[in-house]
Amino acid sequence: MIKIENLYKRYHTHTVSDWILHDINLTIPQNISVGLIGRNGAGKSTLLRLIGGMDSPDKGKITRECSVSWPIGLGGGFQPSMTGRQNVKFVARVHGYQDELDDVIEKVQTFAEIGNYFDEPIRTYSSGMRARLAFGLSLAFDFDVYLSDEATSVGDEHFKKKATAAFKERVGKSSIIIVSHTVAILKDLCDAGVYIEQGRAYWFDDINDALKTYQEAS
Amino acid sequence: MNEIIAKKSQRSSWQVTKSVWWALFVREVLHRTMSDRLGWFWLFFQPIMIILVMVSVRYYIMGNVKSIAGAEFIPWLMVGLITFQMFRETMMRAMGAVEANRQLFSYRQVKPIDPVLVRCFIEGQLNSFILIMFILTGLLIEIYLVPNDTLGALSAWASLWLFGIGCGLILSVSNVIFPETAKVIPVTMMPLFLISGVIFPLNFVPQELIEYLLYNPLLHGIEITRSFFFENYQPIKGVSYSYFYLWLIGLLSVGLMLHIRFEKRLKIL
Repeated sequence: MIKIENLYKRYHTHTVSDWILHDINLTIPQNISVGLIGRNGAGKSTLLRLIGGMDSPDKGKITRECSVSWPIGLGGGFQPSMTGRQNVKFVARVHGYQDELDDVIEKVQTFAEIGNYFDEPIRTYSSGMRARLAFGLSLAFDFDVYLSDEATSVGDEHFKKKATAAFKERVGKSSIIIVSHTVAILKDLCDAGVYIEQGRAYWFDDINDALKTYQEAS
Repeated sequence: MNEIIAKKSQRSSWQVTKSVWWALFVREVLHRTMSDRLGWFWLFFQPIMIILVMVSVRYYIMGNVKSIAGAEFIPWLMVGLITFQMFRETMMRAMGAVEANRQLFSYRQVKPIDPVLVRCFIEGQLNSFILIMFILTGLLIEIYLVPNDTLGALSAWASLWLFGIGCGLILSVSNVIFPETAKVIPVTMMPLFLISGVIFPLNFVPQELIEYLLYNPLLHGIEITRSFFFENYQPIKGVSYSYFYLWLIGLLSVGLMLHIRFEKRLKIL
């Protein structure tokens, strides 16, 4: 269960310092997959980063009563000058999988299907390859909740199917909180939805209702 | 399987920190040794060459060495150079640590202070190894670098390393908030090098000037180190342990406090 209480967040720049997220109160139950939707810049990714603990709220608090992944996304999380294998090993060590390194590497390799590029520096990867590696890497660990920031949107059909299948396999054991603009993915993976507008978050028990509200608003 | 899940999700803070340090250590060492051709060779060869070049320039080209009370000139020079280099490298590597590992803050287990401490640890190890190399090689060519008081020399060496960590902690924060830090600090290194009595003995500087030079804690630190290496060495008048160690404690405390205060700022991508 993830509990968000009275959460406020803003970023200070020279001209803007409005609240991006304004008094958010949400409880995300165990094993319920949630889609975060809203317009560009509404604060979806910020909320996801806060849930993942990458960033801290200005006010309020987030309680995580389960293991939560890092936000799996397009950028970030990899050291571009290191190879895929070295990055995978690093993340495995950080998560305390020192003794299961080979196991993790094998799982990632099987999922990512990037062949010999696994031993090339990350900077030589295409964005699709990067996403596949990031996704495969997160699946190698047993998280209760996976956070995904558009990670599935760059892949080809084959990868999308594979990713969706991997998540469906885990239904009941773990859930996903996903930021996406792809309606099909949201409908496919999520049970509930959170619609974010003007710094406020609205919870919907059914993702279809959330999508309907979003479409009517835009 | 359930057992593994339980194990991973219930790691204590110390267990998490340990695995983060280990992961960063491996990553850093790999990066240092694998990113260039013969990286591991340059890792040792470069600092050794710098010291040898400095010694030969000072001794053979500038010449005119006044005798130093209680120590041979070349060992005196080498102890100063190696100690100063260890301090400088620890500080400089620490300074860039937060910036260079930015990508890794995606994982909430990694705090901004972790790469700083890991880099300091690596520099300490590396430079201690170089010091031992110099001492052993010195024995063969009769440049006697073996410390007179081994325990004292060890503690002085460790104190200067901690001094580098203190400065590094502060500068690593300052480097993110004021990016100009990385431009200004290297410029100040040369004057600091001169006023810390690393290559010029300060015994002959007039007393009125010494008073001001003694405000520099590094001068105290290097003189203290030398006094442990050479039995009859006379440090400059006014060198004080408590002055140096107060600075040391102050720098470490301020550095750690800055990292607590600015943790959020340092993590923003």
